[in-house]
Amino acid sequence: MKVAAVVINLLYFLLLAPFLEGVMRKITARIQSRQGPPLYQPYLDLLKLLGKENLNAAGHPVFRLAPLLALASVLSAIALLPLAGQSSFLAHSSDLMTLIYFLTLGGFSILVGALASGNPFASVGASREMMTIIMLEPVLAMTLILGVVRAGSLGLVSVTEGVSTNRGLSYFLMMAVYLVALQAFVSRQPFDIPEAEVEILEGPYVEYSGPNYALFRYTLNLKRMFYSWLFVAGFLGFMLPGNIILCLVIQTVLILALFVLISVIGATHPRFRMDQALKFYGILLLLALLAVGLGVRGW
Amino acid sequence: MWLWNKIKQLAISFKAGVVTLRYPFEPRPAPEGFRGQPLWDHAKCIGCAGCASHCPARTIFLRDICQELRILLYDSSRCTYCGRCADLCPEKAITMSDRFELATDNRQDITQTIELFMMTCQRCGRCYDLEIKNYIDRLSALGYRYDCLEARKVIRRSTAEFSPDELEKTVTYERPGRLEK
Amino acid sequence: MSRAEKLRRWLEKELGGNLISAETPFPGRLFIDLKREALTAAASGLMNQGARYQMGIGYDARKDGRGFGLVHTFAFDRDSLLVALRTFAPGDNPEFDSLTPFIPGAGWSEREYQDLLGLKFRNLSDRKRLVLSDDWPEGIYPLRREVPHDLMPPAAEEVAFRLEEAPPGTSIIPFGPFHASLHEPAHFSVYVDGEDIKGCEYRGFMTHRGIEKLAQTELTYNDVPFVAERICGICGSVHAVNYAQAVEAAAGISIPRRAEFIRMVALELERLHSHLLWLGVAGHLIGFDTVFMQAWRIREKIMWLAERLTGNRKTYGLVIIGGVRRDINRESSRDIRSTLEEVDREMQALEKAILKDRTIHRRTRGVGYLSKEETVKWNLVGPVARARGLKIDARRDHPYAAYDEVEFEVPVADSGDVWGTLVVRVKEVYEAIKIINQCLDRLEKLSKNEPLAVELEGPIPAGRQGLSLVEAPRGEAVHFVLTGNENRPERWRVRAPTYPNLQAVPSMLLNNKLADFPIIVGQIDPCISCTDRVLVVENRSGKARLLSRQELENISRAKRSGR
Repeated sequence: MKVAAVVINLLYFLLLAPFLEGVMRKITARIQSRQGPPLYQPYLDLLKLLGKENLNAAGHPVFRLAPLLALASVLSAIALLPLAGQSSFLAHSSDLMTLIYFLTLGGFSILVGALASGNPFASVGASREMMTIIMLEPVLAMTLILGVVRAGSLGLVSVTEGVSTNRGLSYFLMMAVYLVALQAFVSRQPFDIPEAEVEILEGPYVEYSGPNYALFRYTLNLKRMFYSWLFVAGFLGFMLPGNIILCLVIQTVLILALFVLISVIGATHPRFRMDQALKFYGILLLLALLAVGLGVRGW
Repeated sequence: MWLWNKIKQLAISFKAGVVTLRYPFEPRPAPEGFRGQPLWDHAKCIGCAGCASHCPARTIFLRDICQELRILLYDSSRCTYCGRCADLCPEKAITMSDRFELATDNRQDITQTIELFMMTCQRCGRCYDLEIKNYIDRLSALGYRYDCLEARKVIRRSTAEFSPDELEKTVTYERPGRLEK
Repeated sequence: MSRAEKLRRWLEKELGGNLISAETPFPGRLFIDLKREALTAAASGLMNQGARYQMGIGYDARKDGRGFGLVHTFAFDRDSLLVALRTFAPGDNPEFDSLTPFIPGAGWSEREYQDLLGLKFRNLSDRKRLVLSDDWPEGIYPLRREVPHDLMPPAAEEVAFRLEEAPPGTSIIPFGPFHASLHEPAHFSVYVDGEDIKGCEYRGFMTHRGIEKLAQTELTYNDVPFVAERICGICGSVHAVNYAQAVEAAAGISIPRRAEFIRMVALELERLHSHLLWLGVAGHLIGFDTVFMQAWRIREKIMWLAERLTGNRKTYGLVIIGGVRRDINRESSRDIRSTLEEVDREMQALEKAILKDRTIHRRTRGVGYLSKEETVKWNLVGPVARARGLKIDARRDHPYAAYDEVEFEVPVADSGDVWGTLVVRVKEVYEAIKIINQCLDRLEKLSKNEPLAVELEGPIPAGRQGLSLVEAPRGEAVHFVLTGNENRPERWRVRAPTYPNLQAVPSMLLNNKLADFPIIVGQIDPCISCTDRVLVVENRSGKARLLSRQELENISRAKRSGR
């Protein structure tokens, strides 16, 4: 059962992630009074990209390895997750820190790939990405630490359940902070600054094409789904029933709803500048710290 | 304040609904007076070359193949669809149709060629349109007699009587390169 | 005493024998012929009296034995007067004084003729190539008469424009030749320190199509409007009307009233279309794609209207010399009114939603600031100038068609940044709607039997100058026509509004963030193809060579490692 949980985790995420992008595109299109592409379009996009010739534009092995590393690290993080409250087989030999390591490794490999490409736009994008990671990874960590404080353990199951056990002031404050930060985690407006198409042409990914780019796209989709899942399992965990199938279904519906929210916010905001966003992130970070502080006091 | 503003923005969007069309699947006919692909009417054209000399894009060509045969070639690839040719045609032989889906991978699809049979003016020696509008009569007219239609070859010069030499020339005649595609 | 009369007296007094002639063939224009030596004195005198520099026009008059002609035009906006200073230099020594020491905005015009005609300018500080492509051979000046319009010199390998080195402490980010925020080929080499822009160098003119040369060698008078329309994808009618007005002025043709109003309707429809387009693009450039789509949704109605009115989604193919080709009858007038009502309503909703959006304020306020003094110095025009407190509008200052008979406001803002241009453009949408409605009122009262265009009586006389202004959506567009023989203009010069505006972009970019680059360049609504219109044939000439994938990869890799 526990081994099966790993497989189910991976399949659930791998199959659903592009669909969620389709939902995002459809909602955005509706807000923009367009028909929008069909919901299955991201699958076709990925397939098409995967079918193309693999170019190593930078002529550097790191450039080629970065997308693989990014996908692998995100998939590793996903394999650990207690999906539907079921502790995975790998959870024995891992904890919260492992999860954060893997996520940081994913962000780091994007940076490395961007820097290896040697493109000036990619390096601008990489520096922006780096600043975002520095400012926002702590917010994610704080959220989980709040769970640690509540649960008194670093185990993934107890942490995710712990976040919503005591719904006091710290819970709501952290939820608000996480919701805003989510927009940056999934890199949608107003915080899609590292990719900013019209400014720096998709930043870190500018030199990537074909299968390499497909891997990055997939990574991005998985990451988006991961962060949304974390919100659902963490903050809304108390709503989820014990039955595994029912729990999965409700989770999926909630993640979908979250994606609708993300798309609506994304479609109704311009992109911030990096200096404006940094101020914003700074406030978020302080609030997250405050929430943890409150959590420690038991509020 | 911020939220209210965003709700207003969403309201604008949803009030408009979906405005894009499922275009290639649902045709959208062009409105009246649309200037699409110009079409030449063989029967009306008198070969005056008014269109050719006024085309701003210089996309209509006239070539006199021989004394009796004038070829009008319209090369749509450079056409700007200004409709100047249709305005100026004295016989209203050109109409601006409502066709606009003209993308093709073969240039010949949108190229129009008219072969006009011209009479020679006895005074100035230049050609003018044959007044016979009946196609069967045209076939028997001077200048048409030796043409090899299958090979789209035409004689250079007409004679009053049948001459085997001219027929020979017709068969071996090569068109000028510019008209060949 | 009118300004023209005053100027004439002043010039007579100041220049004495150097003044050859000063004529006013039609109201609002003063054509002055000078000796070469007096150019600087006359131009600086005009500038001191409050003139605004417009453009320079060079032409080859060696056929008439007068060498090379150079015309500088100036506008007196308060007095509805345009002044053209013409001087000649002998063919073997075509050297003029540069006006750049006191008019920096004249730099591009002078560099253009340095490239195209081989004119020489004393005291011109920047002598780099402006118009000609890098591999164009030295010593061939394409606008000269003896150079055929289809000349295609062999392409040279390994020639590249020499961009300046980055100043110390900065690095170069190349925006262009192709970049997602530019839509057209242009190259801004931007010097950045982190995310701050510390300067930039511009290299453009990559899309020359040789339109001016073509008009002088191949086309006829009435062919040109249809080619002039194709100068720009947005302000087609602007260039066609402008050219037609210049020829009509030169030839002394007065067009029917009906045609005047129909032209105005076309021009204002174009303004509506262009401003909505810009609003959408501006939204896109700050990452707000919903504004982009919603503005273009409204714009689409105007395009469909234009399709019904003129037979083309763009207002193309409407103008000929002497009038217009299509009528606006009662039915189409009703159609226009109902569409405009819809646009007005939708626009008001959109305006409220956009102008009150704090997040948009954050991206536009204080961005791309240029002071009023700088604006005057660089001769900016259009909404960009009006957003910097300069109340100039060719429709009001130099009325053409029947603009003096309709009422409208000229919106001005003084914030001097992108926000200002946004507000000015949004307000102009309503003014355009107002003007169209007034035009339709007048059209309905005019007799229906009036012809749409006058028949030309005989050929247009040669050697006459015509200068015309049209307030394009982006600012004033200027056309100069010198009539010639053979049923075609001897010289036709187009100055699109982007031409002066683009010259000031480096100043606007200074000390802004890199993320604001797209919107700062976007605020002038740069129309590169308008600006690049002149010159002969393609940039990269002829020989097509198929590169294998490996070769291509090697080339791009070599370029990168070379940097």
